[in-house]
Amino acid sequence: MLIVGRVNMYTISEVAKRFQISRSTLLYYESIGLLVSSSRTPSNYRLYSEEDVQHMEQINMYRQSGMALKEIRKLLTSNQQAFVSLLEKQLQNLNKEIQKLRYQQQVIINLLRNNSKLTETRVMDKKTWIALLEATGLDDEAKGKWHRQFEKMAPEAHQDFLESLGISPQEIEQIRKWSTENDIKENLEDR
Amino acid sequence: MTTEQWIELFRAIGLDDKMMNKWHEEFEKKYPQEHQRFLEWLNVPSEKINRIRQKASA
Repeated sequence: MLIVGRVNMYTISEVAKRFQISRSTLLYYESIGLLVSSSRTPSNYRLYSEEDVQHMEQINMYRQSGMALKEIRKLLTSNQQAFVSLLEKQLQNLNKEIQKLRYQQQVIINLLRNNSKLTETRVMDKKTWIALLEATGLDDEAKGKWHRQFEKMAPEAHQDFLESLGISPQEIEQIRKWSTENDIKENLEDR
Repeated sequence: MTTEQWIELFRAIGLDDKMMNKWHEEFEKKYPQEHQRFLEWLNVPSEKINRIRQKASA
């Protein structure tokens, strides 16, 4: 820190260090008129006043809101009304962004949910599933028909479901073969 | 597999609305966790799952 007269002055490196930004960022801010050092040393080095630093503090705060530098420049010179409307606009942008992210999150959840086989969650075993069907009042004939319909309607889900009950691959194959054959037989008998 | 397909499947084997309600009730009473996971497997939205399970345990 240099003391020029009674005023505290800061070099570009000191300001950069204080705000944890690079010197080139400060130079860039100057080039777009966002923050211009108020004086120079006799050998033409930039000197930032206490007021400049306060200015930088404001810029830093607005940066943390995610606003673009162009908008920040407007904010710094705006009246109360424009200030509120600029911030409200940014709030809206953020809300939209959050909405988009939530949607993306939901898409991923759905993808994972569809992808994960029921097997991995293991809903229940064969015995409890049958007990449940029987408690509901289904007899053997209805159970057979259920397999045939399941196979016809959604063969992959049928496989998936049988796997989830922990049924062996051989038995699943038998059940599905039985389902297809009996469905054909039934259709023939119906004629 | 969708909820509609599952209902169609149950109707095809002769389950009416009353039996399907009973099925949910039995499922909820005997295997509440599995009931939840089964409904998730059918991609039923969580709010609807809550409603179904509440109705089944009422």
